[in-house]
Amino acid sequence: MSKVYIKSAGLIPVGEHWNKSLTDLMVEASLNALKGQDGVKIDRIVVGNMMSGYLNNQEHLGALLASALGMKGIEALKVEAACGSGGMAVHEGYISVKSGDYENVLVVGVEKMKDADTQVLTKALAMAESADFTQVVGASFISLNALLMRMYMNKYNVQEEFLDYFPVIAHKNAVTAAHSQFKKAFTLEDVKRSPYLAEPIRLLSSAPSSDGAAALLLSSKPSDVEILASEVSTNELMISQRENPLKFEATEKAFKKAVEKAEINPSSVDFLEIHDAFPIVAALSLEAMGYSAEGRAGFDAANGKYNLDGDLPILTFGGLKARGHPVGGTGVYQIVEAYMQLTGTAGKNQVQGAKLGVTQNVGGVDTTSVVHILRKVS
Amino acid sequence: MIPIAYWRNRKLYTRLIGSRCKRCGAEYYPPVKVCKKCGSVDLEEKEMPKTGTIISYTKLTEPPVDFKDYSPIYLAMIRLDNGVTVLGQIADAESEEIRIGMRVMATIRKWTEDGQNGIIYYGYKFKII
Ligand SMILES: [Zn+2]
Repeated sequence: MSKVYIKSAGLIPVGEHWNKSLTDLMVEASLNALKGQDGVKIDRIVVGNMMSGYLNNQEHLGALLASALGMKGIEALKVEAACGSGGMAVHEGYISVKSGDYENVLVVGVEKMKDADTQVLTKALAMAESADFTQVVGASFISLNALLMRMYMNKYNVQEEFLDYFPVIAHKNAVTAAHSQFKKAFTLEDVKRSPYLAEPIRLLSSAPSSDGAAALLLSSKPSDVEILASEVSTNELMISQRENPLKFEATEKAFKKAVEKAEINPSSVDFLEIHDAFPIVAALSLEAMGYSAEGRAGFDAANGKYNLDGDLPILTFGGLKARGHPVGGTGVYQIVEAYMQLTGTAGKNQVQGAKLGVTQNVGGVDTTSVVHILRKVS
Repeated sequence: MIPIAYWRNRKLYTRLIGSRCKRCGAEYYPPVKVCKKCGSVDLEEKEMPKTGTIISYTKLTEPPVDFKDYSPIYLAMIRLDNGVTVLGQIADAESEEIRIGMRVMATIRKWTEDGQNGIIYYGYKFKII
């Protein structure tokens, strides 16, 4: 079994790329990651993407990217796990390098969302749950998260505003992140003044739709950052089918497996890139990983624990909420950002002395969870 | 909405037909082919009870494209009286009157339609009792 290193990384700013196609986004991120890697022979390309068929009339992204990069002949494929597609692509790249059969693997996560009408996009995102039993009753993806948030507030007697500290943290960190979609900080009052999209989730507490792509070159040759563990777990597809919908079992299991494989102490982690699509997802993820007690994540956020200068910084470049959420790209962005932290290239967003980072990317409402643990090679 | 998929599931959508495990008695909606509790593949059709309790709800102002003419949608998770949880809309409601713990009953309502001359899709919604 080989060890797996990140040899290089690249991304493009997240935002509205009206003059760039799905292919342009992937190619640009790939070329950024491959800058200065001229002699490297790539053995495999893995693309993470959720909705290119429905939103962009385009599938077959593996061959498409290989062809566009002038690499015809190479093995290439797309992997999909809803909003966890990017993390799953890194996992697929990781296991191919680890197997010893592939030396260098290019992993690209991409989503081109801004070309689509909002209602069409809302339908596409709902495909993360059941067509026959979730979509038919008119549910959107955000409404499923709203149902959980209301349940959480009711069970733990928590006010909405404690959960809304997560978008405040995200936006604060995004101000100084060169590649973030929103460089504007806002207060809890700003969140509370924004309209509900699905009560109790508001416009300013929802991740945006975004265009973006990020890329990683994984290699078995030693480099600055090692991926110590890459673990995946699944939960019941539909939140209504779960015994305790407020328990993110997939994240709990993937995190536990990853911690065991990496042989680390969870308290030695220097920063976390979590899947903060909505405040309730951030809270339940932190609780599933044991960093906050059940019902307490919002209070910990309010008390500064998760700030960039707090005990355990999260969303160090703004997370899904403010860096932006190009769905199939997100899981790869998280790992590129972890790479930046661990190589000391995070600029004003640098977590001082960062040596160990965790990323968590989910598909659906914790239906698939992908956890990576990364370490600076000393 | 896909017309043939709707037709295939019409019994489920109008009568809440789920399944029951003949070995351990666990009940499911939507129906399953493999029991999640004991792994048995010996299951039978089982009609769900039509009454239950709201365990969470939301008012959705931006529904997916197939439901764009029906905004806002009041969506809820209902724990039926046999313990099975179902996702569905609350019919004839205003969000101000919906509360966790309210009793509801399943009823048949229009879900959506394929344009002016297309199929009209009917299925369960829940009304407050
Ligand atoms: Zn059984």
